Amino acid sequence: MKKKFLAVALCGLLSMSLLAGCSSSNNQSSTESTSKFQMLDTDLKVGMVTDAGTIDDRSFNQGAWEGIKDTVKNSKYLRPAGVTDADYLEGITNLYDADYKFIVTPGYKFERAVGISQEKYPDAKFVILDGAPTDADGNSVVGENSVAIYFAEHESGFLAGVAAAVQMQESEFGFIGGMELPAVQRFNWGFQQGIAYANENLGTNISIKEENIVYQGSFDDKAGGQQIAAQMYDRGVKVIFAAAGGTGIGAITEAKSRATNGDTSVYVIGVDVDQYNDGVYDQASNASVILTSAMKYIDQATYDLIAAEVNGEFPGGQTLTFSVENDGVGIPAENPNLSENAINTVNEVYAKIKSGEIKVADSNDGSLIK
Amino acid sequence: MNRKGLISIIATLLGLIAGAILMFAAGHNAFEGFMYLIQGGTKSLERIGNTIATATPLILSGLSLVFAFRTGLFNIGTPGQMLFGGLCATIVAHTVNLPRPILLVVLIVVAFIGGSVWAAVPGLLKALFNVHEVVSCIMMNWIGYWVVYYVVRDYFPNGSKATESLPLADELTLRSSWLSNLFDGSYINLGIIVAIITVILIAFILNKTTFGYELKAVGYNKHAAAYAGISVNRSVVYSMMIAGGLAGLAGLTQYLGVATNIQIGVMPTQGFDGIAVCLLGATTPIGAFLAALFFGLLYAGRGYMSVMTEVPPEIADTIIATIIYFAATSVLVERVLDKLKSKRLGRKVTSFTDDPLIGTNVQNTDDESDSIGFMPPTNDKTKGDE
Repeated sequence: MKKKFLAVALCGLLSMSLLAGCSSSNNQSSTESTSKFQMLDTDLKVGMVTDAGTIDDRSFNQGAWEGIKDTVKNSKYLRPAGVTDADYLEGITNLYDADYKFIVTPGYKFERAVGISQEKYPDAKFVILDGAPTDADGNSVVGENSVAIYFAEHESGFLAGVAAAVQMQESEFGFIGGMELPAVQRFNWGFQQGIAYANENLGTNISIKEENIVYQGSFDDKAGGQQIAAQMYDRGVKVIFAAAGGTGIGAITEAKSRATNGDTSVYVIGVDVDQYNDGVYDQASNASVILTSAMKYIDQATYDLIAAEVNGEFPGGQTLTFSVENDGVGIPAENPNLSENAINTVNEVYAKIKSGEIKVADSNDGSLIK
Repeated sequence: MNRKGLISIIATLLGLIAGAILMFAAGHNAFEGFMYLIQGGTKSLERIGNTIATATPLILSGLSLVFAFRTGLFNIGTPGQMLFGGLCATIVAHTVNLPRPILLVVLIVVAFIGGSVWAAVPGLLKALFNVHEVVSCIMMNWIGYWVVYYVVRDYFPNGSKATESLPLADELTLRSSWLSNLFDGSYINLGIIVAIITVILIAFILNKTTFGYELKAVGYNKHAAAYAGISVNRSVVYSMMIAGGLAGLAGLTQYLGVATNIQIGVMPTQGFDGIAVCLLGATTPIGAFLAALFFGLLYAGRGYMSVMTEVPPEIADTIIATIIYFAATSVLVERVLDKLKSKRLGRKVTSFTDDPLIGTNVQNTDDESDSIGFMPPTNDKTKGDE
């Protein structure tokens, strides 16, 4: 009896110390990693409320947080208990009450919460990514103390499509989306336009079939993503563009397991951030299944806004779009899986989009699939 | 202070101690943490209002568990019942045009019926084919989850944002401006009044009516109940339906009170938290009410704690979960109390590991000498001279 208690108590202590160990080692790694941003000399306290996912979602939350955490001395993120406006408002109120008066909210789900908060806390500044604050009737109202930021996902998808097409020359592509939301749809439409552009102008022969364009329906279903990716690869698809958050991680897992088993002909195109490291299947050679990633520089956007606030130039009341034009979207600087030819071609196309020579449609005129 | 209350309080303290140890182990000041945790839920009128609003769905989902437990049923289907009850109410609020007082009554009735229907399926399966209600309830949760997914996406989408339903105007929901103004713009709503009335009603039904007596008799020993002329199958179905209806009301307060729309792809955690509320509340309606308020305080204060201290949100979540689930182990506390008591009386005690931790039969808990929740009655050998 006593012995049993002792055993239980020891187990408990052990797990506690493990937990403590985890937390301290995490802190270390985060301080060791060098940030691409410079620490700003300011006492501004910057807060962030996360969306449904975790802070390390390799997507929106993480991207926004990386633009904050090494930029100012005082930063803090909160994770709401649920995904209702009430939960989001509570998070914003908590940050405000603790004097975090520059608040970043990643995702359109914060539209109403920021809409309420921008009136309730006129002395605070709000940045909302991928959305604009709304009033009670659902109309967009960007207050004087708010900035709404959008990204040109279609241009990002276009570039990834061109890069993958030039790299593969002759192949079959597929697309897995999370939910059928405008931002995800724009990735899909841009991707298809990029493939079509490469086929017409760059002599590639890439096909993409309707059955291989799937919106899975969630952003956190790894198993579902893996299943769909497996089916696509079985049908002969070689490259899947996975714009689906956690669901996309499932697709990467499938490609990795195939690569580990010897089939290194399948690839995934990452989304939002450079996902190369998520796709590494061979640590020794650092080989990855990520061909390239269709990126949105969320961290850059967040950083820019904080820097603007510090310099007294916060563009309150504006709606900003980060696109190729202002270097807000693109593919990663390093693409170990792309040939020099592919990278050069993408750079040319990038310049052409910037100059307006190539126009990427942000809507589906009927010629695109889904 | 009666014995059950004492046990719940000890369990709560144990939970807080466990949370403090965890905070300490992660290198944080536990006293400071708890201070901000409580302040976060009570510091201003708005925060008190939010605490109550957070607690409202928990009261009702806990009550749902309590009611089913009394008839020996483990209603783990509260999330699905919440979703479906909430969905039905959402549909009515969107489509029917009625004056506000009548609309509110209709919403309450519709949410209750919606939840009942969702719970009737496991109830009937249990009564007719002896299918274990836990299995069928979990199935119904996922059916509810996907029904909401498709109905909301195809019929009530919020514009291009297909992940949630179109928000309802405040006057079509339980929100009320005088209550919000009373609490400085908090999102407290009429749901708390619904919850209080329901708690009183359910306490009355369970303790003062023949119907409640029959349900408890079935929970205590269904063979004896059947022998006494009580229809076991009927009691099982009714009990599940009422429990489901209560969960449906929880859905109403969540989706047309705390929120004004329903999200797709989200299983409401309030449903599962109802289990902890029910256990900490010693499977009594009043107990569930108090336990839910305590949990509401924890949830509402959590964010303030992590913003005022260095405790990262993930650790804060873990601490809250630890407190909650330690608090829900009141059955263990009771065992230890029993053991101490018999030791004092100088009796030889058998190890409590002789008893299964989770029995198959739920016991009536009205008799104070009996155990709580789904625990089998205390072993005769350990009972001593009570």
